[in-house]
Amino acid sequence: MPSWKTQNLSRHFTLSMLLLGCLLAGVRDMRGQGNYEIQVYGSDTVPPKNLMVELHSNYTASGQTKLIDGVYPTNHQEHETLELTQGINDWAEVGFYVFTSEQDGHGVQWVGDHIRPRVRAPESWHLPVGLSLSTEIGYQRTIYSPDTWTWEIRPIIDKTLGRWYLAFNPALERTWHGPDVNQGLGFSPAVKVSYDFTRQISGGVEYYADYGRLFSFDTFHNQQQQFFVVTDLNVSPVWEINFGVGIGPTAATDHLIVKGILGRRFNWGRKSSVE
Amino acid sequence: MMAGSLLMGAGPGKNAAPDVTLEIAPYTLEASPKRHFRTIAYNGQVPGPLLRMRQGQEQTVEVRNLTTDAEVVHWHGLFLPSAIDGAMEEGTPMIAPGATARYTFRPDPPGFRWFHTHTFAGNNLDKAQYGGQHGFLMIEPSENAGNYDREVFIGLHDWGGHLTGSDDGSMNPVYDVSTINGKMLGFGDPVRVKQGERVLMHILNSSPTEVHWIALASHTFQVIALDGNAVPHPQTVPMLRLAPAERVSALVQMNAPGVWVLGEVRKHVQAAGMGIVIEYAGAAGKPVWTQPNDLVWDYRQFAAPADTKQLGDEAVRIILAIDSKFQGHGNEEQWRINGKSYPNTDEPILKTGQRYRLVLKNLSMDDHPMHLHRHTFEVRKLVDGASEMQGLRKDVVLVPAKSTTEVEFVADNPGKTLFHCHQQDHMDRGFMMVFQYA
Repeated sequence: MPSWKTQNLSRHFTLSMLLLGCLLAGVRDMRGQGNYEIQVYGSDTVPPKNLMVELHSNYTASGQTKLIDGVYPTNHQEHETLELTQGINDWAEVGFYVFTSEQDGHGVQWVGDHIRPRVRAPESWHLPVGLSLSTEIGYQRTIYSPDTWTWEIRPIIDKTLGRWYLAFNPALERTWHGPDVNQGLGFSPAVKVSYDFTRQISGGVEYYADYGRLFSFDTFHNQQQQFFVVTDLNVSPVWEINFGVGIGPTAATDHLIVKGILGRRFNWGRKSSVE
Repeated sequence: MMAGSLLMGAGPGKNAAPDVTLEIAPYTLEASPKRHFRTIAYNGQVPGPLLRMRQGQEQTVEVRNLTTDAEVVHWHGLFLPSAIDGAMEEGTPMIAPGATARYTFRPDPPGFRWFHTHTFAGNNLDKAQYGGQHGFLMIEPSENAGNYDREVFIGLHDWGGHLTGSDDGSMNPVYDVSTINGKMLGFGDPVRVKQGERVLMHILNSSPTEVHWIALASHTFQVIALDGNAVPHPQTVPMLRLAPAERVSALVQMNAPGVWVLGEVRKHVQAAGMGIVIEYAGAAGKPVWTQPNDLVWDYRQFAAPADTKQLGDEAVRIILAIDSKFQGHGNEEQWRINGKSYPNTDEPILKTGQRYRLVLKNLSMDDHPMHLHRHTFEVRKLVDGASEMQGLRKDVVLVPAKSTTEVEFVADNPGKTLFHCHQQDHMDRGFMMVFQYA
């Protein structure tokens, strides 16, 4: 299951809104598409004694309409994903996901779960860019993805330049159980470029792709490519709000998706001012 | 007001030996065996040399700049002419690389002052006040009636700054290391005291940007002066708060034999090194720290209630609204006074002898240590709706976020007078203005 993720632009949490998207090129296999968490990761991790609770709401306004190899069509699926991320220390966190899908005729269904440990380069390294490394292991039911057990490793590089924010996630994916188990590592990069219009409102573009097997990419027609126009609203240090609209230009990719993220940070640490 | 003069380069006064020589030169600070900082220092030490001068007694100071950048020395808290006060914004000439300057002045007022560089750092968090150019300056009064056994000078500083995102949505400096008198806790010489002594501690926060809270385990502080000026109501307090550039003079009664830590109250700052060992004669063992649970400080406890007959009606009000312009999550903010950033800020004209009330409306999300050069002001009101007070004379006041603080001063030292936030990053980003005299 590709991890398509929108970034949470900094430690200030955001609200968003927005429009537009663009292209999607062919999906290697539409059955494997998983618009459950659409996010380009930033390098920051959740601080220790903090729990980040996020709800990812993604609606496929125009997607696959046919049942293929027993996998439900994505058209008009509403995906609700609960993400819980606990900070471990100043440089590590663990995330846990519960994926669900709602669709006419199928009701609300549990899709699967993932766990995602992540570490980052500490501030004391004084690197010129933000750098972290995430790995994600998970299961999803066959009727939503023929590849039931998957693994992903995701380097995360980001940089803030004045009002501009840039993030790059060159993710590698591996199927452990399912039809793609012999395909080896797949390459799924994601990119975000955004601009701070004001202290509260940022807007930008996100790009997600699945090029297929590493060193042996699928034809362009069979690659997943998708573009989102997104907005983040930094209304409070404890809230994150993000909204975006994405389009995929190829026949094999969902053509129109609307996504939103609502997050809230809970601090379990002591409230003493001396901490 | 005390007169003063400046002599740059060669001149008739150059042959006479100066009373004080300051040599500005590169220096490597060893905060601990594992933490070294390449910086600029006075006379090869951090803090610089302790200078003691007698109030009103003429002093000649020679400053040699052995660095590759132009420098200037600001005599913080003294009533000096603009030409030697030590701020190029007031007209003090910069000392070119390799050049020497001589200053002659009669120091006033008495009390705990300090000297430091007054240059631009920008995004170089090793330069200007981020570095090691700061030192203690004690102006002895004509008659010293101090009731203490000895003095100890304590300098707080932060090192290894780097910019990181903060909750206000902009980049702010954070630091890897914090020191007292240039050393991390456990790596400097202890302050050795004797039971029964009354130690007068002069504490300076020379941090470029950080407010610090200081406590001494098992002891209290009787605060007798703030920014070198005696307070109307000396009070005994469990901890001290010092904004950047602030000074506190406090008596400590040494009545708890042992080995103790004097350090930052906030755990992460003390863990970064801000602490020093206080060791009683004959005591041994590991230094003990007692962790306070809260940060406690209020300027008002040291002030006198205002005399309602002297509410400052005669003072001319100058309203200064402080805010910032967002420059992006990857930038520091641009700071403004009445909507303008230095050098485009207003330059109010002061009339000699007139009393002025500065109404500092802090519209921003940050606290700001506001410093007035060449004058002392009286803090009259600390937050919106608070009652008036009097007698608290300072040259730096921390104006809390989203509140208004009011101070008064008499325009009695003609010449350009700089008024600014003492946070280096804020100064560098426009948070300054100059008062002119008519």
